[in-house]
Parts: sequence; C-alpha cells; structure tokens
Amino acid sequence: METFWETFKRHGVSRRDFLKFATTITGMMGLSPSMIPHVVRALETKPRVPVLWIHGLECTCCSESFIRSATPLASDVVLSMISLEYDDTLSAAAGEALEKHREEIIKRYWGNYILAVEGNPPLGEDGMYCVVGGRAFLENLKESAKGAKAVIAWGSCASWGCVQAAKPNPTTAVPIHKVITDKPIIKVPGCPPIAEVMTGVIMYLVLFDAIPPLDSQGRPKQFYGNRIHDTCYRRAFFNAGQFVERFDDDGAKKGWCLYKVGCRGPTTYNSCGNIRWYNGLSYPIQAGHGCIGCAEEDFWDKAPFYQRLTTIPLPNVEASPDKVGAVAVAAAAAGAVAHGVISKIRNKGGK
Amino acid sequence: MARVVVDPVTRIEGHLRIEIVVDEKTGKVRDAVSSGTMWRGIELILRGRDPRDAWAFAQRICGVCTSIHALASVRCIEDALEIQIPKNANYIRNIMYGSLQVHDHLVHFYHLHALDWVSPVEALKADPVQTAVLQNQLLEKYGAIAEVMPDFLAHRAYPKKFPKATPGYYRTFQEKIKKIVESGQLGIFAAHWWDHPDYKLLPPEVHLMAVAHYLNMLDVQRELFIPQVVFGGKNPHPHYLVGGMTCSISMNDMNAPINTERLAVVEDAIYTQIEAVNLFYLIDLLAIGHIYVQKGQVYGGGLAKKRVIGYGEFPDEPYKGIKTGEYHNRILYHCNGVVENFAEGVDKAKYYPMVGKDFADPNVIQEYVAHSWYKYPDETKGLHPWDGITEPNYTGPKEGTKTQWKYLNEQGKYSWIKSPRWRGKPCEVGPLARYIVVYTATKQGHIKPSWMDEMVIKQIDTVSKVLDLPPHVWLPTTVGRTAARGLEAQLGAAANLYFLKKLYDNIKAGDTAVANTEKWDPSTWPKEAKGVGITDAPRGALGHWVIIKDGKIANYQCVVPTTWNGGARDPMGGQGAFEECMKDTPVKVVDKPLEVLRGIHSFDPCLACSTHLYDTEGKEIVSIKVQGTNTCY
Repeated sequence: METFWETFKRHGVSRRDFLKFATTITGMMGLSPSMIPHVVRALETKPRVPVLWIHGLECTCCSESFIRSATPLASDVVLSMISLEYDDTLSAAAGEALEKHREEIIKRYWGNYILAVEGNPPLGEDGMYCVVGGRAFLENLKESAKGAKAVIAWGSCASWGCVQAAKPNPTTAVPIHKVITDKPIIKVPGCPPIAEVMTGVIMYLVLFDAIPPLDSQGRPKQFYGNRIHDTCYRRAFFNAGQFVERFDDDGAKKGWCLYKVGCRGPTTYNSCGNIRWYNGLSYPIQAGHGCIGCAEEDFWDKAPFYQRLTTIPLPNVEASPDKVGAVAVAAAAAGAVAHGVISKIRNKGGK
Repeated sequence: MARVVVDPVTRIEGHLRIEIVVDEKTGKVRDAVSSGTMWRGIELILRGRDPRDAWAFAQRICGVCTSIHALASVRCIEDALEIQIPKNANYIRNIMYGSLQVHDHLVHFYHLHALDWVSPVEALKADPVQTAVLQNQLLEKYGAIAEVMPDFLAHRAYPKKFPKATPGYYRTFQEKIKKIVESGQLGIFAAHWWDHPDYKLLPPEVHLMAVAHYLNMLDVQRELFIPQVVFGGKNPHPHYLVGGMTCSISMNDMNAPINTERLAVVEDAIYTQIEAVNLFYLIDLLAIGHIYVQKGQVYGGGLAKKRVIGYGEFPDEPYKGIKTGEYHNRILYHCNGVVENFAEGVDKAKYYPMVGKDFADPNVIQEYVAHSWYKYPDETKGLHPWDGITEPNYTGPKEGTKTQWKYLNEQGKYSWIKSPRWRGKPCEVGPLARYIVVYTATKQGHIKPSWMDEMVIKQIDTVSKVLDLPPHVWLPTTVGRTAARGLEAQLGAAANLYFLKKLYDNIKAGDTAVANTEKWDPSTWPKEAKGVGITDAPRGALGHWVIIKDGKIANYQCVVPTTWNGGARDPMGGQGAFEECMKDTPVKVVDKPLEVLRGIHSFDPCLACSTHLYDTEGKEIVSIKVQGTNTCY
C-alpha cells in the first residue's frame, strides 16, 4: 500500500502542502509542534491496512465474537495489524464527524482499504428499514464498497441473509453480494463466525497482502473446507451407531452422537469440530446440543432444528461408515457445485 | 435555539439517532428526540415455527446481550406448556445469566462508555510514575467495595488478575497510544470531540490508567464468558433447550458435556469475573464517578427520578410457572416492582410490586404506536403483547425527504421503536431501575430481603459514604446509572459462586438431571397455550409473550429494555427515558453534545433489541411483496 506522502505525490500535492497537512493534523491531535517531525515521518512510512467496518441489519454478534479472539487478541489486531477507521461498535466518534471521517478515508485510501460488512441491507421501503446518518444503509454500503480493495462479509447476515431474511423476510433483507457485484467478497459465515476464524482471515490479509484462497462459494478454504461431521469428536459414535435418543438420556451423558436429535453437523461446513470455540475449549456438540447449521445458507428455514436430517442414511452396522460418509459428501458436493455455477454466472454478469 | 442531530450514535448495539433542541445561551436542552432507525421483524419470522426452536431465533435479536433472549424465550415456552426444569438446569441458567451480567456490564463500561469520560489524548500528558502511584492509592481508597461481596466457595488462594501499578507498564501504554496518534491513523480514536472541556475534568493520570485498562480489559473480557461456552457450547449465542439444558452431567465419562474438569473451568472463570470487577471495574468506576460528582455532574437522571420498573431475577430453585406467581416466590433479586418519585427521597417514594398476574393482565403492560412507524386501528390506545399488532407504516421525516432526513417529526411518527407503558405511564429500566426498586422495597419493608437484596443495600450504602451524598441524590443521575451497572456486575459475580456451590451440592446429593423431556413431544401439548417469559436483561426488564396453537407459534411478542428506554413518546405526551435524560442534561458546546452522548450511553442502548418488533394476532404470515413494499398481514 502507498504511504500518505506517495498518495499525495500521485495527486500532485506539493511537498510544501504535505508539510502543511502534517502540521495541521499534529495540531488537531492535540500534540505540541515539536511532534511535527514525528508525524511527517509517520506519514512517509507504510500505513496499517485501513478497515471500514459498517453495520446493517444485524445483532452485533459478529463484533462480539471478534473481540473474543484469543489468538490473535483483538487488541493486537485493532491497534497493530489494521487501522480500524470506522466501526459503529468501537469508534469513539459519532454522528457527522464520524461520517465525514468515513468519506475522507474512502478518498484517502481509494483502492487500498478493506470494507468489512456486518449485517445486511434491507431493500424494502427503499432501504429505510435500516437508516444510518439519515439515509438508507444500502446507500452507505454501495458508497463504501466502491473504493474498497476487497470486501469481507462477516457472518451469515452479510454472507447469506440470516435471521431477518428467514421466511417471510419482512424487510427484504439480502446478502451483500446481491448489492456489491464488482468486488471480491470474502464470505465468513456463521452466526456468529468463530472468533479465531474472523481474526484468522484478517491475519491472512495482513501477512500475505492477498485474499485467502476461497472455495466456489467465496468462503476461505482454510476454515470452511470440512464438514463439522467429519471433524467431530463424536464421529466415532455415529459410525458405531451409538446415538443420543432423547436429551439427557444415558447416551447424552456418555457424549454419543447427536444426529438423531437434529444435529446439522453432516451438512455444515465450518471449523467448529477442529479449532472449536474459545481456542479449542468447546463447541455446541460438546455441550450436548446438535449443530444448528448456522454457517449454511438459509439454515433458519431448514428448521425445526430437532428434527433429524432425512438425507443422511444411518449406519446399520459399524462396517458402513465409508458408505455413509460418501453419501453425505456427494449430497453436499452437489450443493456446492450448484452454488459454484450460480456464483460464476453472477460474477460474469457483474463484470 | 439550535437543533442538533447525532446520527449514527456509535458505541451501542444497532442504529440510533438523536436530535436535541438546545438553548444556545444557557445550554439547556428544551426538547429531545430518540429514534430507533432499524427494523428486522423477527417476531413475524417466528410465527408458524416450532416453539422449541424459538429460543434460537429470539436469541438473534441481540448478539451483545447474547443469551438473554434465549433465556426469556425458553422461560416463555415453558410457562405456556407448564414445564418445570430440573434444579441443575436452573443453577446453570443462573450462572449463564450472571456471567452475561458481568461481561455485558464490564464491556459496556470500558469499551462502549469509557471514552465519554476519558480520552487517549489526555492520557498522553500523564506522568507514568504518578499514574502508578495513583493506581495504588485508588486500590486503597476504594478497595473496601470488594468486602461487600460474599465468597461462597473460598477456593481462590489469591487473585490471579491484579492491576499492575508500575511506571513501566503505564509508559508502554502511553508509547503505544503516542505511536498510533503520530501515525495519523487514529483508528477507533479518530474524529471524536477530544477538545471538549469535560475531558479536562480528570487529571491526566486517571485518563492514562483508564485507557490502559480499556485495552487490558479488551483482552480479559473474553474469559468472563467461559461459563456460557462450557454450558452452552459457544459464545456469542450459546445453546439452550426448552425443558432445561443439553449439557448432561456425568462424572464417569470425559466425553460428557459436564464433568469435574469442565466444572473447574467454570469455577476459574467465575473467579476471573470477580477479580476483573472488584479490582479493575469498580475501582476505575469509583475513581472517575467520584470526581465527576465532585465537579457537580449530578444530572441526567430524567425519568429515573420519576418512575422505574423491574421484573425480578435469579430464581433460587425451579418454579411452576411465571404467570402463576411461582417465579416471583422463588427469586432472590427482588427488583420486581415499580418505584415512583425516588428522587424525593426513599421514604417518599412509592412502591408497587410486579408479580406473575401483572404480566397476564391486559391493562398493566401495553405498547403504543402513535409516534412509531406502525399502524393500529386506534392509536390513542395501547395493546397488551398477547393482543399486539404491528403493521409497518413508514412516514418519513419532518424536513428532508423520505430517503434523506434532515429533521424527524416528533409531532408525528419518528421511530421504529414502539412505546411500552406501565398502566399508561413511561418507566425507566436497567440496573439503575433495579437498584432503586430493591433499595426502596427493602428500606420501606415491603419485602423480606434475600442475601442478594442485602448485598445491594450494602453496595449502595458504601458508595453513598464515598460520595457523601444520599442515594436519592446520586443514584438517579448519569453517573448513578453507570455506577449501578458496575455494582450489579459484582452482584452477578457473587451469584455465580452461589449457584455454582448449589450445583456442586446437588450433584453431590446424586441428582445429575439437566433436562425435563416429559413434554418434549408436541403430542403432549394442549391445543392452545399462552405463556410469558420474563427476565431482567443487562439493559433492563425483558418480557416475551407467546401464543401456541396446534403445536406452532401463533403469536410471539417481545417487549425489551431499549424499547422501554428509547421508545417514542406516547399519545398522552409521556416521553421515554432517553428523551427525559437528554432534557435533564445541560450542554456546554452546542455542536459537540458530549454530555448528552454520555447520558445516552449510560443506558447502554441496544437497538437491535428494541426494533425487532412485530406481529398480528391470528392472521397468516403471507403477502410480503418483494422490494419496496412491506405490508405484513
């Protein structure tokens, strides 16, 4: 990324005006004039990646999850790896001052900042079901995306639509890729996504200055390459045909497979089974509740959650796990292929 | 007169806009408008679904006060279906609730509220040596607050988290802040009104200490929620179950969700909660609050002076129903009541209890929409949640266009938040409201105080001594609202130890049940059932109301804390707590109303909670047209 000085030069700003700018912002930050040389030096060195984190219709569980990250800690991410220039949840500033700052960041870092989107835009009532600064969030989203280098779709809201888009979707809430069609979008689904998955995506962007390898649906392969079922510590019980039949029964106390009480592990791609939550502390299945599939598209409309999946055949005897696995993979793969085709068509249309 | 708009209000959950009309000469706020600017329609989405799934949908109303809507929801369904949960499930839910209180309050203080009181720019002027000295002094000066808290287990040998008080520590923070400032990339600190005179109220060393703890607690806060991760599998949004919990207990199997190792993880986390609250949160809170009060900032009480409401929490043992009154017979935190005119003194205040039947009475709690973007057949009247109607009716602003606002229309409709009322009157909710209710109910002798109520009294008396002011003066203020929240975090941590001990004792007695599945099958349910689920969420009184018909949700309504506090005015002219607070807050710099922002933040607003609303009784969920229209029948 360019330094401030390089950007200024590119825009034909003279060294004299650049120094004037440095003097002004030194004053604005309440620093003594003796600090001017430090500020000039800072403006000449490589900046941290600027991030705008905007919020649409959502519940802020993604932000909450983000700050639960242990490795890296959120404080290290926010203060050292990136520069979080706009965030409804953490920004000190409010109102017009903050909106102006957003506009300035877009201009100053055109083509170089990351846009992170939590939540999604409603299209109903001209977008006025979600208003920021007196106008529709939808407009804010479009405007903020234009100069972005890449877009992160945090959580199932931005990636798929999530709960407000569940039937009957009263506000016509849509995932962000329905609105932003000309930028690379990194989908990080989950309700919320695992904390270390969120910071892991940012780590990748900062360390390698590139978008992490994505699957056909736009999700980072590193974190969404496996079904929870394949990485679940209870998988052996599935293979052995040992199931929880009813909550808190003997099987539940022994930690047997939750498939029969509705577990969505066999159809859900996420890292809950391998990296787990809270740096490996637990995940829903470990607490005795089936996965509800929160990282998958339209999972809310695949409820009731306690009804077992009918597409996954049960193993009759312990000898059949391979067959079971193969069927499940085939079913999921068919879905992934279909999505891939759709997203390709969409990308073409966008370009 | 100037009309000042702050939109978006940040460091909150969701989308909020405020408009104030200020007398430029005196700084007095003549009128104030609070508008929720988002709507999602989750209750509409809930209709027709399996009641056992409701907690998962309802929980997504909010990810900041995560788990609380799940709790209200399972209680609501259990009330409707007359399910009594096992003892262990009750203790576990209480620990999850208490952990939420600790986490939510602490994160609010440091990460959503602190920057209204302290500034990183001022911190740069501090002397790190003096800051270390100050840290030691404050621990001595305010440390006694830890003594009001009982330790039911006494398993901690010594505190593992203790504030560092060395110059080097503070110098490191100062250098980091300096580096950020010098880089010109201020990040989360960018563009704020750092030149506001209120940032000069505290000495620079307090700023540096608080900013250091802002960052320190950002690292620690995650640990406070570990009990939810163990019992509910994840956080945010842990898993609940109608009938109890899913985390089965077995001391014979490492694969069991709960065994000795897991309980040890929970216990350690609860002690971390205690240390974070007693040694960081309360010390910083008292240090800052004390100076603000000394400098005359005893305003911002607004509606809290006139009327507050709470529902009650921490059922000591399982109960048979909420609308039956059993819940309120079992609770330990007796904040269930309405108190009027507390600001006139605790003796003159009026107390009305809130018990089971009040939640089923159509005349007690009602919602109005005269000034909200919804339609009622008769908008002069309020409706009880079981009879609620929500039909969106967006009318645009007073000035500007429908899609580009200048000023909202407070004479007409101006918010996506409805207006809940208690017997037609507005009430403030939240930790401050709860503390006023417990204090009044106890001092006036209306209740037999539990150990929790007694702890609340001790806390209030301790702080009154520190501030040298009676509770009716300091509690209903912006500082008091923030202080009550910190004290309640301490109450939550104490409760967690209490219920963990009960859990241990009950397992020792041979009871390992966590779920009652007798009524799991919909075939065991009545054809029609009505339920209410109540709790006192971090931000205030929360109620869910359900009607179940033929095994499906026919109607689901939530009346949530920020709806009470941030809602629009009612047809009788009554204003909600946000608006009343702003009107009770003088402004020094008209176009930088920091005091008003601080007042609003002192409520810890949660907009996704307040504006999820919807429903229409008995009609089908269809005819949602795509794009542009929004009529929901």
